[in-house]
Amino acid sequence: MKRFNGTAVSKGFRAVLCGASLLLVIPLLAPLPADAAPPQEAAHKLSASAVQVVRTQSSATLTIPEDFRVATYEHVILELEATKKFQKVYRDGDSRAESVPDLVIVTLVPATFTAGSQKEREVTTVKGATSIKINVRFTKKDGTVLLEQPIEGKVRFYGENLAATKDFAKKVAKLAKDNF
Amino acid sequence: MKHFGTRIKPAFALFGLCLLLLSAPLVLTGQGSKAKSADSTVAVPDVQCVIGLEGIKPGIKGTASVYQGALTFVEGKNKVQIKIPEITDIFLGNESRQDISGLGGTAVKSAVPYGGGRILSLFSHEVEVMTVEYTDSNGGFHGAVLVFPAGQATAVKNALVAQGAKVTAHAPEPEAPKEQKP
Repeated sequence: MKRFNGTAVSKGFRAVLCGASLLLVIPLLAPLPADAAPPQEAAHKLSASAVQVVRTQSSATLTIPEDFRVATYEHVILELEATKKFQKVYRDGDSRAESVPDLVIVTLVPATFTAGSQKEREVTTVKGATSIKINVRFTKKDGTVLLEQPIEGKVRFYGENLAATKDFAKKVAKLAKDNF
Repeated sequence: MKHFGTRIKPAFALFGLCLLLLSAPLVLTGQGSKAKSADSTVAVPDVQCVIGLEGIKPGIKGTASVYQGALTFVEGKNKVQIKIPEITDIFLGNESRQDISGLGGTAVKSAVPYGGGRILSLFSHEVEVMTVEYTDSNGGFHGAVLVFPAGQATAVKNALVAQGAKVTAHAPEPEAPKEQKP
């Protein structure tokens, strides 16, 4: 009768040990996911204690109803305040903003506008979408551009036309949240 | 003659006094109406504040009025005033709103089987949109968007202009796309 000897047991044990150690080491060697690297990302983030929103500009070539221009401006102010990324959100023309050294100025330059129709949207579900595309620019006081991106606000199915301005403002707030 | 003269004079004085007393209310009433016309009051209920009034949640309905040199919006206990000298411009526009709208309306429309909710979307009414631009004490620009029942915003704008609100000449806005009546 053949008995188990020490060498046979140790070989099996070694194989199991190697496999287990490989399983433990492989995840450590794999690259880290993007969201698991906050120190690097934090280094790239911008900082500002206050932001000033300049009212939506008018254009000679693009006619936007005044209620859309005003609603865009007001919604952007509300949404930026809601991010709590800035100590103060100043309005266009506010004299107090001049004394803020690290002030960031947000400029809104309309690019395209489609009026749409609430009735058409709700009846057909494929036509009548309202959309407003605005180039959003974050600049320093001296005019250095920190961030620039075209953002589109839309209403596709249900809701009033002016809801496109709220959608736009939410996207601006997200942009600010991601970069500040 | 002298005696007659002395008797007539008090009578004239009394007559004059009576005339004065009688005419006083008329004079006072006339002055009151002049004051009223200079401080004309216009109040429009069921006005929706879309955005732009501090302390009022967007989308809330209340009463807009022009009184004592200010555009006032009252909703329950909340009251916001825009003083007329602070107003820099007023814009008017026409739009249409669905008769059945909002979260409840949308739920009702979705609940109708075989897409029948779309028929409910055909019913709409005209509204007037008034945009009031004004500045605060720090020079900050504000804009308030208010939705009035059809024809009411013009009266409010006229009352504001009569009391000295600034309005610039505007280029005509593009007409809203025509919607077919059901």
